[in-house]
Amino acid sequence: MTPTEPRADRFVRELAELKIPDPAAARTTLWLRAGAALMVLGPAVAAAAYFLSHGTRDPLVQRDALALGLTGVAASVVGSALFLRYSLTGFLRFWMARQSYDLAQLTDRLTGKDTGHDAAPR
Amino acid sequence: MSRVLLELRGAKAAHDGITVLHGLDLAVRAGEVTALLGPNGAGKTTALRVAAGAHPVTAGRLLLGGRDMTGADPGDLARAGVCLIPEGRGVFPNLTVRDNLLMMTFTGRTRAEIEEVAFARFPVLARRAGQRAGTLSGGEQQMLALARGLATDPAVLLLDELSMGLAPLVVRGLYEQVAGIARQGVAVLVVEQFAAAVLDIARHAAVLVRGRIERRGDPDDALRSELSALYLGSAP
Repeated sequence: MTPTEPRADRFVRELAELKIPDPAAARTTLWLRAGAALMVLGPAVAAAAYFLSHGTRDPLVQRDALALGLTGVAASVVGSALFLRYSLTGFLRFWMARQSYDLAQLTDRLTGKDTGHDAAPR
Repeated sequence: MSRVLLELRGAKAAHDGITVLHGLDLAVRAGEVTALLGPNGAGKTTALRVAAGAHPVTAGRLLLGGRDMTGADPGDLARAGVCLIPEGRGVFPNLTVRDNLLMMTFTGRTRAEIEEVAFARFPVLARRAGQRAGTLSGGEQQMLALARGLATDPAVLLLDELSMGLAPLVVRGLYEQVAGIARQGVAVLVVEQFAAAVLDIARHAAVLVRGRIERRGDPDDALRSELSALYLGSAP
């Protein structure tokens, strides 16, 4: 950027350089679904591992079942983290906005003031 | 003639499946104020949101600086220099004026730079720097919203109902500031229900009725009388 470059020219140049991600390639929904799937799959795998280990006296198979069970637990944890990340952030954003709005309402009520339509300049 | 920074070509948009914009064509040039006028429910705010990338088009295109940006993320557009100041001002009422401005440091500018620009254009904000934004008058809140917008160094400024809830004298002062911003090379699109003040500073105007441009041109007397007829009904 040159200091004397007009804003309009800089705007056009920056837009030309802007790499616009394809909206169709948004990954949010995909991650949310993957998280939910892992949350379901993890306990199922862990339960399967439990029955596998109890269905045999072979220590090698029991060790496999142990590994499978731990994989199930890990999948649940990762799935839960993904699900929380991609579902709660949206919710918390609105929650924060709501808190701000409620505080503003409370302030208005306590001061008995309609701050939204105060026409008189000071 | 200055360069077109914002253009809508045949833009259609809908709310809940109901089409509210029926092929809107509009161009906004750098250094000029363009007014989009019309009665309540005409689709003005939707048009503005489409221009900011905050509302999807069902057909047509959004061009910025000649580049097709239809479907682009509004965050990307904002970073590039498109600034939307929504109806209702969009300031944080529980934060002080200074903290409201401080929040704009995410743009990469320092607090001192932001305050220098804001306080130079709106000296009243300097006097109220420690006051909570919710306790400012409506006009001062609108000044703060404009100052926050200016902190983003906008190339395209989109203003929604700047005059809402304000006295005519305050509105006139605000529009003088908007004209000053446009003179610095910013393309300004103003959406207004109350046309009188904005027509004094606008270079071009368009009248939107039920999602269609009914009339466009220079804000001359003919346009003003057409607007009067539109709002008040035609004289017999």
